[in-house]
Amino acid sequence: MSFRIRMILPLIATFVAAVGYPLFYSFYLSLTSYKITQRWDSHFVGLNQYRDVFANSDYWSAMKVTGLFVVIGVFLELSLGLAIALSLQRQKRFRDFTRSFLLSPMFITPIAVGLMFRFLLNQQLGAIPTILDKVGFSYDFFGSGNALFTMIMIDTWQWTPFMVLLILAGLESLSKQPFEAARVDGAKPFYTFRRITIPMLAPILTVAILIRSLDALKVFEYVYATTRGGPGIETQTIQYFTYQTGIQYYRLGNASAMAYLLLIIVMIIVVVLFKQIEKTRRL
Amino acid sequence: MRKRESSWGILSKLIITFSFIIVAAPLLWVLLASFKTGSDLNDPTLVTFTPTSENWKKVFSSGIFQSAGRSAFVGVITVAISIVLGSMGAYSISRYKTGKSLTRFGILAAQVLPPAVLVFPFLDLAYRLRLSDTLVAVIAAHLSFVLPVVTWFLIGFFDAAPKEVEEQALVDGLDRFAAFRKVVLPQVAPGMGAAAIFGFVLSWNDLFYALILAPGNAATLPVRIAGFNTFRGVELGAMCAAILVSVVPVLIASFFIQRRLVRGISGGAVKF
Repeated sequence: MSFRIRMILPLIATFVAAVGYPLFYSFYLSLTSYKITQRWDSHFVGLNQYRDVFANSDYWSAMKVTGLFVVIGVFLELSLGLAIALSLQRQKRFRDFTRSFLLSPMFITPIAVGLMFRFLLNQQLGAIPTILDKVGFSYDFFGSGNALFTMIMIDTWQWTPFMVLLILAGLESLSKQPFEAARVDGAKPFYTFRRITIPMLAPILTVAILIRSLDALKVFEYVYATTRGGPGIETQTIQYFTYQTGIQYYRLGNASAMAYLLLIIVMIIVVVLFKQIEKTRRL
Repeated sequence: MRKRESSWGILSKLIITFSFIIVAAPLLWVLLASFKTGSDLNDPTLVTFTPTSENWKKVFSSGIFQSAGRSAFVGVITVAISIVLGSMGAYSISRYKTGKSLTRFGILAAQVLPPAVLVFPFLDLAYRLRLSDTLVAVIAAHLSFVLPVVTWFLIGFFDAAPKEVEEQALVDGLDRFAAFRKVVLPQVAPGMGAAAIFGFVLSWNDLFYALILAPGNAATLPVRIAGFNTFRGVELGAMCAAILVSVVPVLIASFFIQRRLVRGISGGAVKF
């Protein structure tokens, strides 16, 4: 066996065991009526589970909720992240302290962040609604119509730092020459930002958006900590819905079909995006 | 020109100050609440009160340190396996283009997998092997997402590392594995550090897998904290203390790793 194969074999073996095996097994599960409470009574049902999932309006509602969450959340995080990273780059004093403090939310266990905001935003016992109330402004953060946006704000609080980290790293790796040239030519700051900073950052922004979107799709902790999907099913995200079906109702077969359908949809989106990126790169 | 410069400067200071408040205020409020008694908690805006240590005592005696220990154990084992296997594999992929774009794509695609796809097979297998509610199941599940991320990072670092030194080492008579271990690895050490930190954080923070695979006796820190989810006034203070137990080490750690992380990432990890 050649050196390169010997080097990669342990990785591939572990990869197959930890990713490949469950991937195929869950596809098999999705074709059965498997329930963890009645393991002896599992039989092959083919694509019936998928038909059920397709016909399940709660599933599509969860898809929509997740989609809104991802798109709005990532957009907010990207905009704020750019503003904060550019500000941090200019900063001279207390640099290390500010940076590490502003980056810290992304390292906190998401469940702790969820519980923290559940407490702070609670209608009766939370500080924020109470203060808002005192200035004559009443807002129910977990009420109907507001809860999903609250969820997005929690995500933004925790994950804008991730955008800041990637953009900051990107800014520091940019070559200084174009900026010098722009300065010598007397370019206005906004023009420099739009014509030099953004295009040069584009590759890292793409990566940041991609990583963050894929991660936001998996949102579970905030829902688990705060609303448990409510009011109604307004904040029921796809990950939470699958968890409920599989764990609370023990319907592993059904839940696997849900997860697989999600996987297919995500894969299609990723492949299309990749093609798009490749295309713009060639231009 | 000068004037415009300074107005940008003021704006950026405002942005930093504002973000600072947004990050600090919730944490400070939870800190305050963790020293309040049940009845003081009924008034959320109360700032002056007689502090109590009851909440902290309750949390400290709840086994939260054992849970933190378990989380650390899972994180260290997962990251250690990922770094060893990942660096060897990533080196092979980066230098010898092993498996061409297929391996690279496979590793990237693994990061796209929704955890809901993988978790039920792990659960079922854990049941069959009588490993449910043990850390073995959690470590196996964490490998499924830490290993691809760490490997992906490392491929980027190996791509960016210069080849000359290692070729010189081969000429000098080191065999290829020795050259890898003694010459190549030290070159990517900062990147490995960043990748290890990232992997550890991912594992440390995971609730989804741990909650499903080990909800009881082998509860990790996130699972334990989720258990404090309550709205009875008496236990609200304890919930706040539990939140802080997970926040404080992170604040300290982020101070030490921040600069390394920024440098590690700009060193070439995040590229296609």
